[in-house]
Order: sequence, then C-alpha cells, then structure tokens
Amino acid sequence: MNINFTLNGKGMELDVDPMALALDVIRGLSLTGTKEGCGVGVCGACTIMVNGSPVSSCICLVGTLVDKDVWTIEGLAEKMPELIDSFVEHEGMQCGICTPGQIVAAASIDSVGASSPEEVKKYMAGNLCRCTGYQTILSAVEDHVAVN
Amino acid sequence: MSERRIDAVAKATGAAKYTADVVLDGMAHVAVNRSDFPSALIVKIDTSVAEKVEGVLGVFTAKDLPVAVNLYGRRVFDVPILVNERVRRVGDPVAAVVATTREIAEAAAELIEVTYKEMPAITTAHEALESNAQLIHDRPWEYKGAVVTPETGRNIQSLETHGSREAAEAALRSAVHIIDETYTTPGDHQGYIEPQACIADYSADGSLRVWATNKSPYRLRDVLSSVFGLDPKRVEVMPTILGGDFGGKGAPGEVPLCTALSILTGRPIKMVLRYSEDLLSTDGRHASEIRVRLGIDNEGKLVGGIAEALLDGGAYAGFKPVNTVNLHGIVDAAIAYRIPEFFVESKIVYTNNQPKGHMRAPGSPQAAFAFESAIDELGRRSGIGPIKIREINLLSEGDVNPYGDTWLEYRGKEVLSLATSQPNILDIPKGWLYGEGVALYARSMAAVPKTSLRLLRGQGGKVIAEVPIPENGAGGQTVVREMIRSGLGLNSDQIEVKQVSTSLLPTDAGVGGSRVSLGVTVAVADAIKLWKEMPPDQDAVEVTTNEGSDGPSGAYSAQLARVAVDPATGQLKVLEIISAVDVAEIVNSKAHQMQIDGGTVMGFGFGVMEDLLEDAGQPWALSMGEFKLPNVADIPKLSTVLLHGGKGVGPNNIKAVGELTNCPTGAAIANAVADATGVRIRQLPVKAEAIYWAMKEGGTK
Amino acid sequence: MQSTDTEFLIPTSVSEALRNIAKEDAIFLGGGTSTALLYKTRMIEPARVVWLGNVGELKGMFASPTEVKIGSMVTMAEIAADREIARLLPGVSSAAGVIGNARVRAMATLGGALAHADPRQDLPPALIAVDAKVSVRGGSSSREINLSDFYEGFLETVLAPDELITEVTIPIIPNRHSSYLRYTPTSEGDYPTVGAGASLTFNGDGKSISTAKLALCGVGAVPIVSSEANLVLAGTTGDDSVLRRAADMVREAVDPQDDERGSADYKRDMAVVFAYRALKACLVS
Ligand SMILES: Cc1cc2nc3c(=O)[nH]c(=O)nc-3n(C[C@H](O)[C@H](O)[C@H](O)COP(=O)(O)OP(=O)(O)OC[C@H]3O[C@@H](n4cnc5c(N)ncnc54)[C@H](O)[C@@H]3O)c2cc1C
Ligand code: FES
Ligand code: FES
Repeated sequence: MNINFTLNGKGMELDVDPMALALDVIRGLSLTGTKEGCGVGVCGACTIMVNGSPVSSCICLVGTLVDKDVWTIEGLAEKMPELIDSFVEHEGMQCGICTPGQIVAAASIDSVGASSPEEVKKYMAGNLCRCTGYQTILSAVEDHVAVN
Repeated sequence: MSERRIDAVAKATGAAKYTADVVLDGMAHVAVNRSDFPSALIVKIDTSVAEKVEGVLGVFTAKDLPVAVNLYGRRVFDVPILVNERVRRVGDPVAAVVATTREIAEAAAELIEVTYKEMPAITTAHEALESNAQLIHDRPWEYKGAVVTPETGRNIQSLETHGSREAAEAALRSAVHIIDETYTTPGDHQGYIEPQACIADYSADGSLRVWATNKSPYRLRDVLSSVFGLDPKRVEVMPTILGGDFGGKGAPGEVPLCTALSILTGRPIKMVLRYSEDLLSTDGRHASEIRVRLGIDNEGKLVGGIAEALLDGGAYAGFKPVNTVNLHGIVDAAIAYRIPEFFVESKIVYTNNQPKGHMRAPGSPQAAFAFESAIDELGRRSGIGPIKIREINLLSEGDVNPYGDTWLEYRGKEVLSLATSQPNILDIPKGWLYGEGVALYARSMAAVPKTSLRLLRGQGGKVIAEVPIPENGAGGQTVVREMIRSGLGLNSDQIEVKQVSTSLLPTDAGVGGSRVSLGVTVAVADAIKLWKEMPPDQDAVEVTTNEGSDGPSGAYSAQLARVAVDPATGQLKVLEIISAVDVAEIVNSKAHQMQIDGGTVMGFGFGVMEDLLEDAGQPWALSMGEFKLPNVADIPKLSTVLLHGGKGVGPNNIKAVGELTNCPTGAAIANAVADATGVRIRQLPVKAEAIYWAMKEGGTK
Repeated sequence: MQSTDTEFLIPTSVSEALRNIAKEDAIFLGGGTSTALLYKTRMIEPARVVWLGNVGELKGMFASPTEVKIGSMVTMAEIAADREIARLLPGVSSAAGVIGNARVRAMATLGGALAHADPRQDLPPALIAVDAKVSVRGGSSSREINLSDFYEGFLETVLAPDELITEVTIPIIPNRHSSYLRYTPTSEGDYPTVGAGASLTFNGDGKSISTAKLALCGVGAVPIVSSEANLVLAGTTGDDSVLRRAADMVREAVDPQDDERGSADYKRDMAVVFAYRALKACLVS
C-alpha cells in the first residue's frame, strides 16, 4: 500500500505494508537514531514525534501515519539545535541509547504544556534511562522548557 | 571544569551507531526457537513447516553445528550453542531459523515443533542441594574451565569460603548480643535499554568479523577462536558503542550461534534480541539467600561473624568470568568492619533457572543488603543504635580487615558521618510514618587490568588515540581525551579517540569492575610519556600495560535513606537518598556525578521494584511492562556529599566510583522502613504489601 | 513485513467504516496501542483493519450544561488536557492523564480504551462512576449501553464484531462531585494494583447525599461496580464512619487475583482503602 506522510519536513510516499511498525520502517530508511528498546511501549527509546506529540514507534502501525507530520531525532537535530546543545551541555547521557528518545520526547513537550518541574517529571516519566540517574536529563529538559 | 563528553553530539543527534544499526550486504537474520520447559529431553525436532516459509534460508539444530564441542562460556565452557539432547532452562536455544528478514525468522521459529519429554525440574537453590536432587549436569567437573570436582557436592557451580567456621562459631558463642537472620534477594536483570545484538560475518577464507554488544572484545575473540578452531589473528571483533552494560554484556551471548550460522550459510548473520528474549535468555543477577550471624561484646564490639550465601546460578556457570566462578562481592561482605573471627561461604548452585552472571558489583548488592541489614538490626536490638554500632566497628587507621589486608586508608566513619549529618528539608506526606536508615559499602580497588593503546599522528597536528574497548557510557574515551589534552597541552578538537578492532591492538581485559578508567589511565599516562620522547620520524607509540596493583586500598560510600510509609497501605515512598562518597581526584566531574546518581537509582530499583519474578523454573517478568525499572517520577531526591582528599590509585590519583552507590541502597531503604514502622523487611524488593502485612502482625525492628 | 495480506482501510465516515467492517476477521483500529502489541506478537492476525483515524465525526468533544460527549477517536491526552472536562469530570480527567505514559496517552483513543477491556484499565471505573453511556452503531442498528453493563469478561465486551463505538455521553448532574484514584505501589508507570472511581451527588441542601457511585479496576475480570455504596450512603451526610462502611462493602464485591501487583488478599484490602479515599475525595472536591 502507498502511504503518504511528511518525514522530517519532507513529503514521503512509501510502498509498505501498513501493518508494519513505524519503528522498522523508519530504521529501514537508514534513520537509525530511533532505537528499539523494550518493544512494548514502555521505555521510550523509539520515540518519534507525530503531529507534535510523542509516539512509541514500536507500537505504532505505519498505516496510522497517513497524512501525518512525522519527525525523528535526525530531523529534530537539525530543526532544534538548541535542544541538542542543551543535552550536550548538561551531558544528559551516558551510553546514549535512550538519548534520541529523551530528546524527541523533550521536543514534543509542548503537546501537553508541561512547565513546572513536577509536570516535566511526570511527562518525561515515560522515557527510561538506566545510566544517568536522570538528573542531567532533567536539567536539559528544564532548560529547554524555560527557553521556550 | 570538565569538558563536554566526546560522544555527546553523536549520541544526541542519533548519529552514533550501535550494533543493531549495522547493516551488511547480503545479511540474513536469525531467530531462535527456545525451550518452554525448565528441564526436559528433546525427543524430536520437526523443522519441516518452518523450512517452507517463504524467505527462510535454513533451519538449524545442534546436529548441524560446525564445531567439535558444542559448548562455550566465559570461564567454564558449559553453555551449549544450541541444545542437542537436554534443555536445562526455559529459554534454552533449541533451533535457529535463518531468513531474509527478522520478522520472517521469528514467525518461522514459532512453527518449529519440538517434542519434549519432561524431566523433574529444580527451581530453587535449596532443592538443588538435596541429596537426591536431580543432577543438572551429570559431570560438571569435566567442562573446560570447571572449578568443581566430584567431591565439591551436588549441583555446585562454585564454592568459596574465607576464614574459619569453627573459630567464628566459637567467637559467636562468647558474644553478649547476637543477630542471626536470613535475607533474600531476587533474580534481577542489568536493565540496559539496548537489547543484546550481534553480527557474524564469516568468509570462506577462514576469517571472521564480528560486531557485538560485548564489552570484552579480546575475550570474545579468544572464545570464538577456541570454539570454532579459528586462528585468533583472523577473528576480528569490530568497534561498536554499547547501549549500556552493567555487567551483562561480557558474555559471548549469541555470537557463537551467529558465527556457526554464518559458517553454515556463507552469509553475514545478524541477531537482535527482542527485549523479552533478553530478559529470558541472558545473564542477570543471582538470586540470593544469605544468613548472617553477628555477635558483639558488652562494649558493642563485634567478636565474630558468619555469612553463608546460597546463590542460584541457574542452568549454566559459563556466564561468570572470574577464576573462582564466584562473586567476590559475597566473600567481601565484611570488608568495612573489624571482626576478629569472620567466616564467609559463597555457594553457587546449578538450578533449572536462567543462568546468572555479573551485574554491577557482582555479589555486593546482595551481600550489602544482608550484612548492612543485620548490623542495623543488631544495633537496634542491642540498644546501641544503628549508627553507633557501625562507628564502633568500622575499621580505622592501621587496622587489618577480615581478609588480612591493611588498606592505605579507611574512610568508613567519615562517609557515615557525612551521610548522617545532612539537613532535612523534606515535606513528609501527612499521616505517613517517617524514618531514616543508613547503610555502608566499601569496595577494594581492583587490580589495574591489562590493556593496550596506541597514539598516532593525525592530519594537521592532530593526535589520534586508538583504544581497544567500546565506550559503554561511563565516559572512558572522554577520560582518554582529557588526559591527552592536559598531558600534551592540546585542545579537545586536536584529539580524536577511537576504538579499533581486535586486529589492531594487542590486548585488553575488557570493561568491568570499575576498571575502565583505571586501566586506561595507566596506559594513557605511559603513552603520553613515550609520545613526548618520540623521535620526529616516528608516527606512533603503542603501549601494553600489565596487570598491576597500587597496594591494598579501597573506596567507601554511605547512604542515608529518608522514607515515608503510608500506614493504611504499606506504601513506601523513598523521599531522599543521600550518598556520601569517598573520592580522591575526579577526572570528569559530570561523568563522576552520573555514576553516583545512576548507581543510586539502580540501587533504588533493586531495593524497591526490580524482580525477574522467577518461579517454577521460569522468569515471569518478560517485558518492561512487568520488569519495572525506576523512571524519573519514581526516584527519590538524590543528594550527594563528596568526601574529598582520599588516596587514589593510578596516574590520576582516582578512586573508582561506578560500583559504589548501587550496593548499599537496598539496606538503607529496609533500615529506614524499620525505623519508620518498626517492622523489618528481609526480602528485596521491599514491597508495600510486605510492609502492610508485617505492620498488621506487629513487628520488631 | 510479517504479513502483507492484512487489508488496511481508511474510511472517512462512520457509515463507510461500518461498511468496511462487514468482513470476516475485520477489526477496528483506534490508536493501535494494544492492537499493535497483539499483532506484532502474532496473537491476532486480522484479515482487514479498519482504521478510524480519518473519521472526523468521531473526534468531537462537546460540553453543555447537561452533558459531556466525547467522540471515540478522542485521545487520552486530549481528554486530560481539556479544561471543561477537568472542571466537570475531574475523575475522568485524571484517569485519562495517568494512563501508561505520555506516548500511550497521545495515541490511545477513548474507543480503544473502552473496547480493549483489560480489567486493570483506569478509564472505565472513572467513567462508570459518572454514569457514562456508550453509543454504539452497527450495520443496521444503533444502541446506547451503560458503561456499567458494557463488560462481560477479561478482554470481552458486549460489542458485536461489527459494532462501532461512536461516542461516550456523560450526564452532568448538579451537585455531583467525582474523583478517581489509582494505587501504583511499585512504579508510577505501572498498571494500578487497584483504581477507584467515585461520585457523590448531593441534595439541594448541599449536605445530604442523594446518590453515590463507586467502581473499581484491577480487582476482578471486569470493572467492579459497587451498588452497595449507594445503599449505605444515600440519605446520609457522608460522615467518615459512613464512608468507611460504604467502602468496606467493596470487600465482598471484588474478585481479585494474585499477581505481581499484589496478592488477592492485599488487593481486597487496598480496594477498601481506595474506595474510601475516592469517596472522601468527592467530599472535598
Ligand atoms: C505501555 C502501555 C502502558 C499502558 N498503561 C496503561 C495504564 O496504566 N492504564 C490503562 O488504563 N491502560 C494502559 N494501557 C492500555 C491502553 O489504555 C490501551 O492500550 C489503549 O487505551 C487502547 O486504545 P487504542 O486507541 O490504542 O486502541 P486500539 O489498539 O486501536 O484498539 C483496542 C481495541 O479496541 C477496538 N476498538 C478501537 N476503537 C474502537 C471503536 N471506536 N469501536 C469499537 N472498537 C474499537 C479495537 O478493535 C481493539 O480491539 C497501556 C498500554 C500500553 C501500550
Ligand atoms: S522500544 Fe518503543 S517504547 Fe521501548
Ligand atoms: S544513557 Fe544509557 S540508558 Fe540513558
């Protein structure tokens, strides 16, 4: 089936199985910044942005992306360099496997309008990190929220 | 001021390539059919349906493997690549499907029909020891690398003791107060977010290239060359980035299987575990049951102690890398204290559970939970108090520890006093019970491991450092850059640090035991020295360091947990964990702090939520839906106080920090719960439900 | 990838969707969060998937003084963010705001959240406590079902395979206060051990209770509705001892199972505690 959507700002027309997972389709396009962790919607390593909201690409059937505006870490890195800088400056990472998901989640935070530290925590609670203890990630996201 | 990490931009932009991101031409994918039974004989494997699935390139069983002996391991070679006759755990690999896509391979693997004849299963460590227990392995002493003999006892993987049981028992008989309690912890998983993955690419000319989520490339190379009879020079483990390790990525994992399949099919073979498969089939933390007996005299001084640990090693011993095939954290349980007569036994048994391996400070989180709970109980019951009893018994200058060593310095009392003297600015939920608990951990500084490294002249005055090991997130490569930067007076952008394949450097012992920074720093310091003396016509220096040690020393951490408990439900909120950490110099302060925070959060997870739910021979927590890891909303306030001025080791005068703060947390929390509620929880994770029922029954601290 | 033979249809109207579903093994798809999980683990292999994402009719959310209507394709995040719903139906608002994580909330739809019928789900008790009705359209007929009568068993509802949830209607009753509380002792990112939705409607005097509603999740194969709570509370002023007595009635109504979120005995006790707290929250709200 032909599926049209915008990916990182560019129109896309793909001939794919609509029942394929967005994660696999995106990674199949060599956009490997989107990671597979838990595969069940819990960890957030596979987070992509769909119409401004965070989505688990590991449980997202690609057919549901028809006509949507989809962003991955690769596109957001170019579109939101300050957010990347914020994670780099705060060292919001160690092994880095969760990092693209954390950043895509942070980029989508306006979708829920989280602004207080408690709201930021509640919102970011869906993105697990096993390495950092979260403090540097929180600082990076809070900076981003404060600037926006 | 520390400069930003070397890998930050690549990781933040998604450009960093991990093993699962590697794609080779002609690559095929593999999925494994795994045993559903903890213990059974394979009667028949019918692969005919799976073979016919479109896209399937081949279905393979143990009979097809191109090996003389179908076994591998890190030290003991007792793990089958594919099981031939007898499965010994749920998740044992029985057959492998190679297909053009991962999804086809997975779907076809489910179509393999395996007929089993069930055997009795041993699903607890206690059952394994019964005199009539089924033998999990008939002759375990015959495995390559085995440390047991026919006399060691039934179903034993490893047995280590230290001290004299008789002397310790005699000392306990003379004690005025005694504690004798048993503490248990469940099977756990490292919880790295990147599931294990690998690619093996064998060429007809006898060379093999491997990409793997493996922290010990040189060990992996050696295991592969030994299993497949390949020339080690022709086995090349390629550089990669690790998406977290925490001890779980040292074993060969699925690399032997993928290598075999690559040999058989002539294609590069890729396998990326689903997380559920990773939870089922890798090598997590041993479940433990530790009985601790401690006795004090009427001044509160410890006169003797015994710690007996029974650990569930699961179906194979092959995931433990050290010579003893044991967990030194167990034996080291009393390392911070002055105990004239101390006996410890660490017994690891085979069962039909998942095999277990190393996880961040192997054995220590279990031992610290048991020992630091016991001493706390003894302090409370004797009326001396939990802090005082530690102060009385912590080692101080000139003391000999229970293992006969005299450390350069003992800083237990100082970290304890720092952790317990921080202001409390918490809001305690109304109507909840509040309590505080402390726990302490000391870790001997591991010997400096063998490693090697090369510095090269690059373009435009650049210096390229080639290192042998993958970056696991701890920041080892950034440390290398920082040392070169200051050692050679360069700017960061004039230095490139990169991992190279195993063919390009002589050796490395692998990441682990907080040794990365240490081993590498020794090598970098040596290399910088050589570089400065390098004649202008030379382009590179290469160093190989030998195993060494800077004299017996160690590092300490003490944690204070502040908790609140809802008396109506038993719900536990850990409000704050204060970590007081013993440090010398700090090379990169942000990375250092993240080791402290990340460790504390992992200790918190072990303390209150992580559990593979192993029961009846099967882990039931098979996805992150059930295997819960702490998220940012779950975690307490993390506070750190550093005890500066310690005597470090190595050229940078550092103390290892990566395995300090994940160890005492469970005990600190349980001790705080006892303080708040009066009930003692001796089983991790500390569950609201356990507190609730214990409070209903009414308990004693 | 795994099977290329599942048809994927994207209707743009309810009537088209109903025509599309008339096929053996056809299913509706909302946000797809639970369907994708089942599909990727090969638990379901539908012949046809009818995705409702482009059916504009199902995306409305309206609040009037007498009722709130929420279309079945409205997401959890949209419900949680809506100010009117937060004001009129705080329990529903907070239940929608705690489900899973931000990504699940962004994707999961009201229709999917109700039809999935996992008894641990948060939204059903919150909605049952405020008398939600489910509007359903089938090929030839349409009907309204009280949400309290909607569940038949674990992952089972009264819906026929070709019936579509179009919207949920919640009556707005003056002097009614509602709440939803969940208990997640292990991790906030977990399904609840127990969740309790409650409402208390007061008489004109503002003090005496005319009707009480109480529903629970996590403690049975379906959401548990406690009709006894109303018997105990109606006509009283909701004194603490009466609230406790009403809450205690759920002990008999629930039928929990032992699992990793608690033993059956513990869940039963927690059901009582959270029933009480949810009722109490209606007094102060
Ligand atoms: C990681 C994770 C965590 C979760 N945590 C929680 C939690 O804490 N609390 C909680 O309550 N839930 C939780 N859930 C479950 C979640 O609520 C459901 O997955 C979600 O609500 C389903 O909605 P959907 O729109 O994605 O459904 P879909 O997957 O699209 O559909 C689910 C079912 O409903 C049917 N369906 C969908 N729309 C309609 C319609 N309009 N008419 C008729 N049938 C329809 C589908 O055919 C399918 O059978 C969690 C889920 C995940 C993945
Ligand atoms: S991989 Fe998608 S949420 Fe974990
Ligand atoms: S940086 Fe490793 S999981 Fe977050």
